[in-house]
Amino acid sequence: MKKTTLLIGLSTLFFVYAEAQQKKAQPKKEGTPKQEDTLQVIKSGLSSDPAFVWKTNQDEAQAICSKYRSREEMPGKDLQKVIQLSQADVKYPQYGLYWGDWKEGKKVVESPRGGRFAGYGFSDNPMDKGGNCYACHLIEKGVPGGTMGPNLYQYGKRWGVTKENMNTPEGMEKLRAVYNIVYNSWSAFPCSSMPRFGYHGGLSPNDVANIVAFLLHPESPVNK
Amino acid sequence: MRKKLILAVFTTGALAGGLFATKAFAQTDVELTPEQEIKLVQEYNRLLAEGVNPGEVWYEVGKEAIKKYKLDKCDLGLGPGNFKGAAAKLPRYFPDAGKVMDLETRVGWCLQQHGGMKPEEVQKFVKQCWGKTGNCLSEYDGIIMYLTMESNGQKISVDLKDPRVKKMYEIGKAAFNMKLGPWDFNCVTCHAGKQEVRIRATRLWSVDRGEAGQAVHYFPKYLVRWGLPMSMHYRYAECIRQMRWPEFIPHSDLGVALSTYLYAEANGTEIKAPGIGR
Ligand code: HEC
Ligand code: HEC
Repeated sequence: MKKTTLLIGLSTLFFVYAEAQQKKAQPKKEGTPKQEDTLQVIKSGLSSDPAFVWKTNQDEAQAICSKYRSREEMPGKDLQKVIQLSQADVKYPQYGLYWGDWKEGKKVVESPRGGRFAGYGFSDNPMDKGGNCYACHLIEKGVPGGTMGPNLYQYGKRWGVTKENMNTPEGMEKLRAVYNIVYNSWSAFPCSSMPRFGYHGGLSPNDVANIVAFLLHPESPVNK
Repeated sequence: MRKKLILAVFTTGALAGGLFATKAFAQTDVELTPEQEIKLVQEYNRLLAEGVNPGEVWYEVGKEAIKKYKLDKCDLGLGPGNFKGAAAKLPRYFPDAGKVMDLETRVGWCLQQHGGMKPEEVQKFVKQCWGKTGNCLSEYDGIIMYLTMESNGQKISVDLKDPRVKKMYEIGKAAFNMKLGPWDFNCVTCHAGKQEVRIRATRLWSVDRGEAGQAVHYFPKYLVRWGLPMSMHYRYAECIRQMRWPEFIPHSDLGVALSTYLYAEANGTEIKAPGIGR
């Protein structure tokens, strides 16, 4: 429960911090090009293959995040806006949130594949699907991982998920909080480096449910 | 001389790049078996210890290719065929093309002007060895290697006092920051921030730690894993592929903008090509 309150507390904190930041007017930097002009240059330098061109349609949240080098620089109203957009987006599995299959989740967590296409080889297969979580996180004990994101070893233990409380309202609340992070990381961490996997459809709600089970389930190797 | 050198590439290629040029490996670029990983590290360490950089072979290849494609008429900013130190001052504005260009884009322009190539042919020429591992010898990589090595020891000095260059720099900086695509990446995701981070085992360089110079000064960089040198535009293409953006077009303004930003951030760093990496 602590972690949930912490998280909710965290978003409130953003809002308070937000207010304070809003007063610090952002000085418009000398010579900064218009966002549209930069986007134009980017698009002109990428393949216009109709199968992929949709990837360069920037959404509102991305546009806001692109204005700042880091979250610390962001004024409050923009932080609020990104959180708002992202929270509104989270979708749950068709029949509601449930404890997924951690073994399936593990596979998606481990796969670095999915979405990387190039005409010159080194392409993923269209059906490849993965979260590449190890690129940025340490997860299972002894498995090498990146350090861009926090260490997730014993993540379920840290949330206090047990066999007993898993299916209680408290347990389901924890499940939901972590589901929201993995489905749309910006709902909790606006403009994070962590991709919004569910939002873009790279991972389905069921994939996300399986991944969250891998992270939280008391039987998952993550919590051994 | 040249024959001997090329032979040398192919022997090293067989050892290094060729080591992984199996079919399974050719399809992917990340998932090495632990045994392959160990072999790769051993080969890399051996080359480092012996001070051997197979990338140097491309210098000779480039020297020949420059004659073949009449690039001795190419002006990199110091006059036609005056290549010593020229690469260190790129990107710069070229009145004849009416554009700011970096080294690779300028070479592409020259290949059209003097080498008689059409734009599509240039693109093919550039990407000849992209996505390949093992014995692939590209004349383009040779040309870029030769022209860069002619500036070895020179300090990078991009002229930001030229407003046209400055404008490209600003676009490059904004592009570096642009979050886009189905994985929400920008260059900043991996190459900014005061704190050192790793993705998997790879340590990432950061503009905010003043490491742009360290990142660009040794390109083209010979990759033991692939057995060939990687030019800067190939590096952009690979990072952009990991970002899940559509495929990068070499010699585009996007490439020039990124180079202008990165090389200007690297001002003062000595060029030292070829680099070597795993
Ligand atoms: C490109 C980097 C990246 C990738 C890939 C990535 N993450 Fe993250 N993740 C982060 C960062 C950075 C944070 C910290 C949030 C912040 O401050 O922005 C984070 C935070 C988290 C958190 C919250 C941790 C906490 O403190 O409670 C969870 C859970 C998580 N990630 C799970 C995953 C899973 C599961 C995957 C794969 C499906 C994944 N991440 C892929 C970068 C990444
Ligand atoms: C998902 C992570 C990621 C993103 C996003 C990314 N890169 Fe990279 N970049 C890497 C990795 C990994 C390397 C290889 C580092 C190595 O081999 O030491 C690298 C290497 C580089 C290098 C060469 C550094 C060296 O020392 O060899 C340059 C230059 C570079 N990237 C530029 C860019 C630019 C420009 C962008 C944006 C268009 C970008 N990167 C986006 C991960 C990324």
